[in-house]
This record gives sequence, C-alpha cells and structure tokens, in this order.
Amino acid sequence: MTFPRRRAFVRQCLRVVAGLALIAVPMLSARAADAPDFVRDGTLAVCTNPTLPPMTFVNGTDTTAMAGVDLDLAQALANYWKVKLVTTPMDFVGLFPSLAAQRCGMVISGLIKLPARERNFDAISYLDTALVVVARAGTPPITSMADLSGRTVAVQSGTSYAARIAREDEALLAAGRAPITIQQYPTEDAVVQQVLIGRVFAFASQDVELYYRQKQLHGKVSVILRSDYPEYRHFAVYIRKNAHDRESVEAAIGTLDANGTLAIIRKKWGIGTSSTQAFAQAGHVPAFRWDTFLAALTSPAFARGALITLAVAVLSHITAIVISIPMAMALNGRDSILKVVLRAYVSIFRGAPTLLQLLFIWNALPQFFPIFREEWFTPFLATWLSLSVNESAYQVEINRAALSAVDKGQEQAADALGMNRRQVYFHVIFPQALRIALPPTINEFINLLKTTSLASVISLQELLSVTQIEVARTFEFTEYYAAALVYYLAMVFFFLFVQKRVERRFTWADRHRASANVP
Amino acid sequence: MYPDPDTDPSIMISVRNLSKLYKDFIALNRLNFDVKRGEKIVILGPSGSGKSTLIRCFNRIEPHSSGSLTINGQIINDHTSLPRLRGMVGMVFQNYNLFPHLSVLDNCTLAPRLVRRTSRHDAEDMARRFLTQVNILEQANKYPIQLSGGQQQRVAIARALCMRPDVMLFDEPTAALDPEAISGVVSIINDLAAQGITTLCVTHEMGFARHIADRIIFMDQGCILEITPPDTFFTNPRTERARAFLDQMIRC
Repeated sequence: MTFPRRRAFVRQCLRVVAGLALIAVPMLSARAADAPDFVRDGTLAVCTNPTLPPMTFVNGTDTTAMAGVDLDLAQALANYWKVKLVTTPMDFVGLFPSLAAQRCGMVISGLIKLPARERNFDAISYLDTALVVVARAGTPPITSMADLSGRTVAVQSGTSYAARIAREDEALLAAGRAPITIQQYPTEDAVVQQVLIGRVFAFASQDVELYYRQKQLHGKVSVILRSDYPEYRHFAVYIRKNAHDRESVEAAIGTLDANGTLAIIRKKWGIGTSSTQAFAQAGHVPAFRWDTFLAALTSPAFARGALITLAVAVLSHITAIVISIPMAMALNGRDSILKVVLRAYVSIFRGAPTLLQLLFIWNALPQFFPIFREEWFTPFLATWLSLSVNESAYQVEINRAALSAVDKGQEQAADALGMNRRQVYFHVIFPQALRIALPPTINEFINLLKTTSLASVISLQELLSVTQIEVARTFEFTEYYAAALVYYLAMVFFFLFVQKRVERRFTWADRHRASANVP
Repeated sequence: MYPDPDTDPSIMISVRNLSKLYKDFIALNRLNFDVKRGEKIVILGPSGSGKSTLIRCFNRIEPHSSGSLTINGQIINDHTSLPRLRGMVGMVFQNYNLFPHLSVLDNCTLAPRLVRRTSRHDAEDMARRFLTQVNILEQANKYPIQLSGGQQQRVAIARALCMRPDVMLFDEPTAALDPEAISGVVSIINDLAAQGITTLCVTHEMGFARHIADRIIFMDQGCILEITPPDTFFTNPRTERARAFLDQMIRC
C-alpha cells in the first residue's frame, strides 16, 4: 500500500509548509514594520553639515569623505535596517529644509534635542552631552552664565545657543546688569577662531567637540564653565514627524546601545574618556605655515573646488547670455503681454537675494514638483539653474542697453541690402552690440564667479566650501583662506586678461587706434 | 494717358494711385507717375511732404497702403521677395549708415556674400570695381570712422552698386557734404544714368537738383503738385505752392 502512504506523506509535507508559512508571514511583516518608512526604497538618506568634529566633519583632504560619530551612527543604522547609506553634505541652514523637502530621511548632524525643533520634527537622542563655555587658555573659570555679563560670546549661527543666551540676557537686564553680546558665525571653526584671535571673550559649544579639538587647539583654549542647562543634554537624530518611524528609530538606537555599538563609536572618537581640563600646555605655533598653504594650493581638493566654481560660473553665465538676448530684444520691441511678463521676471530676480533664490530652488522647488527631489537634480544643476535665471535678469539690462545703442540706421541699411532678419542681427547688430556689452558683461561674470561661493549652502563642493571644510578640520584658517584667495584672484585675473585681448578687436570704433592698425 | 508699363519696356517704375497711411495721417495721397529706364528724377518739397516716404516705398522699407507699384515689370506687394526687390533697388541713406565694424571692402562684400551667396573672391573683385568707379579704392582696407563724409558717401554708393541694382534711391545725398564733394556726387549719379541705372533722389539742394534732374517731382502734403523738367520748374513753376517754396529756398 505504497500509494496511500505516499499520499499521507504529501499531505504531511503540505501541512508543514503551511505551518511554516503561518509562522514566517508574521515574522516577515514584523521585520518590515521594524524599519522606518523613509528607508522603504532601500536607502537611508542622511543630511549632515560636516563642520562639527567629532560629530560630523571631513577627516582628510578628500572633501567627499566625511567621518565622525554621526557618520558611524548612520552606517550602524543602515546596517541594522539592511539598507544602503547615502549621505549628503550641506550647509547647516539647509538641513531642516532638506528634511522637510524629503531630500533626506534623517538629519544626523550633531544637533541638540530641543523642544522648539521637536514641534516640527521628531527627535531621538543618541548621545549625552553638556553645553560648555570656552575661553583662551589661562582665563579663570566662572561659576554661572551670569558671569559673562558685559562680555562678547560667539556661537554658530542656526544653532539654539544664541536664543538660549538671549534669554540669559533678559534675566541680566531685569537685574540691571549689562547683557552678554552674541556674535554668530556660520561654522563652528569660525566660532573658535574668534576666541583664538581675541575678538570675543568666549564661545559656547558642546563638550564632545572639545574632546576632539584638544590636539588641534594646542592648549590654546580651556573650558571656563560647564552649564547646567537641562535642554543641552542630548544629541539627537531628526526625522519628519511620524509615530511609527519614531518608534522604529528609537528601537534601533536602543538596540545599538544595548549591543555595545554606540560605546565602540564613542570610544573611537574619544568621547568621555578624558576631562575637558586635560589640555596640554601650549607649544610654539608659527604664524603662517607655508607648507600647509602650499599643500592646500596644490591639493586635488582645492583644484577640484576651483574647477567646480569655474564650471558653474561659466555655464551659468553662458546660459544667462543665451536666454537674455531674446529677452532684451523683446523688451526693446513693441508693448505686449510678453513684455509685462519679462519686466516682472527681471524685477523679481534682481530684487530677491541670490542666496534666497538658491535656497528656494534647492529646498522649495521639490515641494511643488517632486521630480526635483530625485537624484539627478544635483547641487551643481540646482546652482546652474538658479544662477542662470538670476544672472539673466542682470544680463538682460546690459544686452538691452547695448542693442539700443546700435544706431537704428544700421538695421535699415542692412534691410535695404536685402538681408533677412537673422543676417541683420548676426552680421550687423550683434557684432556692434557686443563691443558695448562686453566690458559690463565681463564685470558681471567676475561678480558671478564670486557669487558661486553662496552655493555652499546647498552643498555644492565649490572652492569656498572646500576651504571651510579644511579649516574646520585643521584650524589653520590663515593658510587655507590664503590658498582660496590665490585661486579666486588667479581666475579673475585670467578673465580680465581675456577682456583686454578681446577689446583689441574693437579698434574700428576708435579713429586713432584704427589708423594705427592700417598698414 | 499713361503708357502701359507691361507693354512699354522703356518704363522702369510705374506708380498708380499709390497711398500710404499712418493710422489717420495720409503720408502719400494717390500718386501717379512713371519713371523711364535710366531716367534721373529729383523729388523736391518742404519737410514732411512725403518725399522720403515715397522713395522708401520703392524698396518696401515702408510698405505702401494702397494703389499699385510696378518696378521693372514686377508688381510690388506683400508677396514680393524682399531680397530680390532690394537687390533690384539699391539705396543710399542720408547718414550713409556704413557698417562701422567692417572695413570699406567688407562693407561692400557683406550683402553679396550673404544674400547672393557670391564667393568672397568674386565679391571682392566686384567691390574693387565699384570702389574704383566711385574713386575710393585706396581706402578699401580702412574702417568707416577713418573716412571723411564725402568718402563715406562714395563707399555707401559702391556698397549699394555691389548688389547690381537697376534703380538707385538717394535720400538727401548732399545734406552733409561740402560743395566740392557735391560736384563729385553729381558726376557719379550722371555716370550711373549713363550705365542705364534709374535714379530717384530726394534733396533740398536746388543747384544739385537742377544739375542732375531729368525731371523734378514737386510734392506737398503727400500729393504731387508738379512733374516737370528742371528748367520749367525753376524758371516758371505752374503752382502757387511751388513758387512760394522756391522763393523761400532762394531767400535762405
């Protein structure tokens, strides 16, 4: 009776498979529910501002290689969820707008857990900390924030320290004492610089940073106060508000803490291992390190930054010129609705700050058109787009003036010889308008070349971004600033030289010089 | 009545009921006349009488509003090929309007090369020929800014001739010239007529008009008041308006 037995065996197998399926299905769905929604596409996208060692910074000359506690945590979370990690460096002020614009699922950037931020985003803490006040080495310790009355204190802009100190000021003023003056700087290293050069009395920062800076600062600063503010106790990751995501991130960080991963990361970056007073005595530091300066000048990072600056400026200006020529012709023509629209375009893009336009295109455009959230829309493209649009609004006025400066009789004479519109413009009007437009256009271009530095706020790794990242890493700001200056001046002088050469071709407009050129 | 331009080959330009309107303003009011091949016509009249507007109708820089215009047997209207018409009808402007960014030679070769697709070599040969005819070949490599008014005038004529026109229009050719240069222009225009080129010329210069004109057209307020040979016009004008105009010109 093999047949029924075989049948029974098959039935048995089916039962086992069904049973396994019953167990497996809830397991699978449990795993899926475990991961937050923003990693559903298989990538964990993290935005960070890599200028805050040891949390997030560029640890070397390669500006694309970021490191720090936050980057290690991001990698650990990505491993935990079994997804790919994508990190995007950007300016501090761009972090939360990028999170809101869904350009990243998570911001990990040495951010403090603050109730004000938690109104709009969910925060999950991952590291304990404290706010410290730091002054030049040798400054006697103080006992409370109120002791800073009448002093100037530097903080990083966009951080909450400024607002906290402002509240301290209200108390001081109420008590009839002088307030603390606050100065804000865009990067943490710029803040430290102010203390080093003696412009401010002290700076406010987090203790973890000082652990890391001990070596770099060569004992030039010391902690004069560890504040007892309750709200500066935790670093947190930020995500868009979502109860489920919040639970899953809490669970993930809880697991990483329990299995010792976080402890390993803390140890790696020297956090909590030494006291903040453990600064060595100051050694001799030369005023200007020529080797650092020369190394920066010849480094691939600076060359790449300069190339990006140059490329985005040239492409933007060419685009601006191409779109502004027909605009200028329309504006010089008959009244029409098009003319009203163009006038509005020119007013808007000349009126709004370029920085705002960059931020708008990078952070607000994706809210209206999700296509700009995709990977192809790089910081380079965004900068190109916004600077082209912005520059065309200026260039159109130059073109308009140049075109109207060409005598109307020229067009008539060309018409009377039977030339078509295209021939009239390309052979008669444009060559004459070019002479008038060229000097102001080169001026505009030089301005634009320098304006590209604004694109650091949308994470374009152009020359100034590279410089700031290097300064944050080493604190040798004089040397790196000097290197950047050399690059900018070299580029500007090159274009001034080109202008001179091109102007030589316009001798036809100058009777004496024209005569000198005739054999 | 008028001869039929279609059948009479000696007629170069035929104007019938030609009018030009700018909104409500009548710039040209129902004009009628014929111009013979090789004829030299001078158009006189006070400022605003429509003289310049009239000659600008011939190369359609100002398209006429109604009536008919026939040049060399071709009816000129919206369907006329402008490059062809303007190749047939050349024009010299009051301010010459030379292209300042091009040398004298390139001023002359630009349009033949672009519009006629003439090779650079052939265009330059032709340009040299016409520059020689107007006696300015030695300036061929200079820029317009280096030339005197009279020299620029002659370059402008050579530039127009390079398109091999049948008709030449002159808008105030003597306005900016000294007397010596004016006599130069007179001989050039007589030269053109000898080659069979029809000339229409707007001027304020009475002596110049008397020297070159086969016939004078006198205009006022968009209308033609007289078409007569210069001797008759200057010694015995038929209309009171022409007489007053001449009196005024002589008094100046």
